[in-house]
Amino acid sequence: MRRGWTRIRLISVVLLGVIAMGWVGFRIVSHELGSGQKTIIYVPKAIDPTIEFWQVMRQGVASAAKEFDAEIEVMGTRAEVDVDEQIALLQEAIKKKPKAIILAATDYNRIVPVAKEIVAAGITLITVDSGLNGGISKSFIGTDNTDAGRRTAEILRTHVDSHAEIAVINFVKESATAMERESGALEILHRYGNYTLLGPYYSNGSVQTSYDIAKSLLKTKPNLKAIIGLNEPTTYGIGKAIQDLKMQSQVVAVGIDSSMGEIRMLEDGVLLATVIQKPFNMGYSAVKTAVEAIDGKRVSPRIDTGSKVITKENMYSSENQKLLFPFVE
Amino acid sequence: MNGWNPLRHHSIHTHIAIAFSCLILCTTALLSYSTYKLSSDAVTHNSLEYTSQLIEQVKVNIQTYISNMESIAALAMRSNDLQRYLKQNEPAFVKPLMKKQVSQYFNSIVTSRDDISSILFISDRGDEIVSNREQADFNSIAQIKEQDWYKKVIGTDQAYISSSHVQRIFRDEYRWVVSISRELPATDDTIGGVLLVDLNYKLINNLCKQIELGKRGYVFIVDPTGDLVYHPQQQLVYSQLKSEQLDKVLQTWNGSMTLGEGSDKKIYTVDTTSFGWKIVSVTYPEELVGNKRQIQYTSALWGIICLIAALAISIVLSYALTKPLKKLEMNMKLAERGDFDIRVEIDNTNEIGKLARTFNIMISKIKELMNQVVEEQEMKRVSELKALQAQIQPHFLYNTLDSIIWMAEMGKMEEVVDMTSALSKLLRSTISKGDELIPISVELEHIHNYLTIQKMRYRKKFTYSIDVDEDIGNCQILKLVLQPIVENAIYHGMKHKPETGHIRITGKRVDNDIELQVIDDGIGMDSEQAGTLLERKVASKSGNGVGVVNVDHRVKLNFGAAYGLRFESELEEGMIVTLRIPLLRLEGDA
Repeated sequence: MRRGWTRIRLISVVLLGVIAMGWVGFRIVSHELGSGQKTIIYVPKAIDPTIEFWQVMRQGVASAAKEFDAEIEVMGTRAEVDVDEQIALLQEAIKKKPKAIILAATDYNRIVPVAKEIVAAGITLITVDSGLNGGISKSFIGTDNTDAGRRTAEILRTHVDSHAEIAVINFVKESATAMERESGALEILHRYGNYTLLGPYYSNGSVQTSYDIAKSLLKTKPNLKAIIGLNEPTTYGIGKAIQDLKMQSQVVAVGIDSSMGEIRMLEDGVLLATVIQKPFNMGYSAVKTAVEAIDGKRVSPRIDTGSKVITKENMYSSENQKLLFPFVE
Repeated sequence: MNGWNPLRHHSIHTHIAIAFSCLILCTTALLSYSTYKLSSDAVTHNSLEYTSQLIEQVKVNIQTYISNMESIAALAMRSNDLQRYLKQNEPAFVKPLMKKQVSQYFNSIVTSRDDISSILFISDRGDEIVSNREQADFNSIAQIKEQDWYKKVIGTDQAYISSSHVQRIFRDEYRWVVSISRELPATDDTIGGVLLVDLNYKLINNLCKQIELGKRGYVFIVDPTGDLVYHPQQQLVYSQLKSEQLDKVLQTWNGSMTLGEGSDKKIYTVDTTSFGWKIVSVTYPEELVGNKRQIQYTSALWGIICLIAALAISIVLSYALTKPLKKLEMNMKLAERGDFDIRVEIDNTNEIGKLARTFNIMISKIKELMNQVVEEQEMKRVSELKALQAQIQPHFLYNTLDSIIWMAEMGKMEEVVDMTSALSKLLRSTISKGDELIPISVELEHIHNYLTIQKMRYRKKFTYSIDVDEDIGNCQILKLVLQPIVENAIYHGMKHKPETGHIRITGKRVDNDIELQVIDDGIGMDSEQAGTLLERKVASKSGNGVGVVNVDHRVKLNFGAAYGLRFESELEEGMIVTLRIPLLRLEGDA
């Protein structure tokens, strides 16, 4: 009887041990399988849901997050211009110890110190749309702005005779984006034809300033055949001036980026073309690159997501519809 | 002899453990493998099944939406308001009113359903547009008419279902819709036109977006011309960052196919709606493999756990099984060394328990037999000694010597010589060492000498005769067994008989035995007494029977219980003592 009891006790101890071992093993295995999640903090310039550009970029981010099994947290300032808030947000983000931060910098220079902190904390930094001075980030994903600038000038080559006067209205002098676009546009205008270049002028990103500049140019320069605007408000101001002076038959405008107003101008023939960026692709490529960088793969320091020239003729092609009229819920 | 056998030197304990382990190893490996195989097949099968069910569901939903739109279009077309509006011969001043009524009717449909974005009718007559909005700012009619839903429906009697597109009817409004249009041909008394129902694209978008196919899987919809109606990463496809095998999808009506190589491997499951849209799900076999890997891990893990458990149990079990065997073995070793007092305590009822019990019984039997042998040897020794003592009883010697002296004094020289020589022979044969067994003839010679002496001592008291078959003379008999019987016959039969008695000794072969009989006609005893003669362990005071009991004992010890003495007697009639011994020829004697 006593021997029977010891045996039962022995067997139950062995069984218990086995079960415990199995449980631990299972936990280890399942933990190992489940640890593939990568946390990435995405800091756009703005989280304002009315700004389509950032909404679409966020769709791209979400799409890539699903595909590459990354966990995304969005931390954004409400308005695009709030540099200080973005710095504060980034400092908060560092404390969360993500694997990577995807940043659309609100300022080319002022974000640099906090970006250095990010890199020093061992977090992979990827910049998207707007880069940082000094190339601190592992990779910059965005439109090749020089190329976009070139494209605006390229379109004019086929529409404007080679001795015409062409004006260029840029938005700010300090912005890398602006400078790149300007150099691209000027490069083409200098290379081809015998154009007389007016400007570049600077609108400060204001529709009104741009409108005023364009209006005075339209009035004073009878030989003016085309005006290039290097961002959306600038282009809109130019279009508005042409429309108001009813000069669409004599002067064409070419712009960068799109808005409802610009689309209207395209349809009305005020705007010859606009070069648009691909925010969805930016968001997607940013996450993809971040994941690759986390995995230790070599990533290209500069990824061009491309741009597209939209004209009245091609604006409703199934491909361009998606770019021009992104479906945002 | 048996070739090389690695297990030869191992204990049963090890054997059992190894055998169990091998068995368990094979079984577990087999089970784990088959479990893995079965469940991974099941996972693949299930996910394919699940995917196609999901696709079917999406297809049914979209078909329902579209056919709803079609029936709404049909309903709108047949409506009285529209029919009246289309009448050619109505006076011009009622037209605005009728237009308003149509518009209100359209509006009532649109407001009742949130999946309809707009309904409108473009009449042939002056390109007039009637929409669900009474006050609307339309784009130019030329712009409207260049859209596919208008261009492609003209001249057909079928409804046209467009791909997803941006609707540009209203100024500054760019809605994503799927357009369903139908041409209403002009008749003799009515004008024609095109009716358009726009389905809110959001519906399809939400329907497809919510579908979860693993982590990376997704659904897309393509129309028969290869235009993407819905794709979660449409922009990537257009930018050539992603590609779908659209030409292969378009060739498939229904079913699954695996395309691509390596990590780009995708499973396309296609289902086609009645109006030609193809619902395509894309799943990644790698994800299934990921799942498979988990199954792999789990089954391997449990396999190992089971293995360890089984090994532990087999060791415990084999130990438990062989423990009593070991105990038995140990006890056997003790028995081997001569300790027969042991008992194996195994309170099992199994084979080993039985074995232990049998062993215990065997040991006790051996012990008993050993004791018996020891006892018998002792008894033999004692009885031999007694036999010896019986022959050389000093009394007998003194008496005989007295007789000789007395005869010598009487001058009976001849008798003295006879008696002295008989005594001499008697003593020689008694003292002579050597075999316990002697020929019968030698024993008879000895008896003859003895009787010669006794007859001289008890003159006239008795006569004797020896009548033994010649052919048994050389058979073997125990030394000095007849003398006590004869002595008994003289002392108890003849001595107290008044007249002269006679002692006859016979001997013959009976079957395979020899029977020697000592027959006297002395006073005898009653048969009852005679029967119990041998049972007396202790001789009576008169010494009656001591010798015969000893004789019987010796015979039985040497030849077995079947042999020995038998007494038959009647009071005053005499006594017959029969000695039965086995027929043993002398060696070398035929």
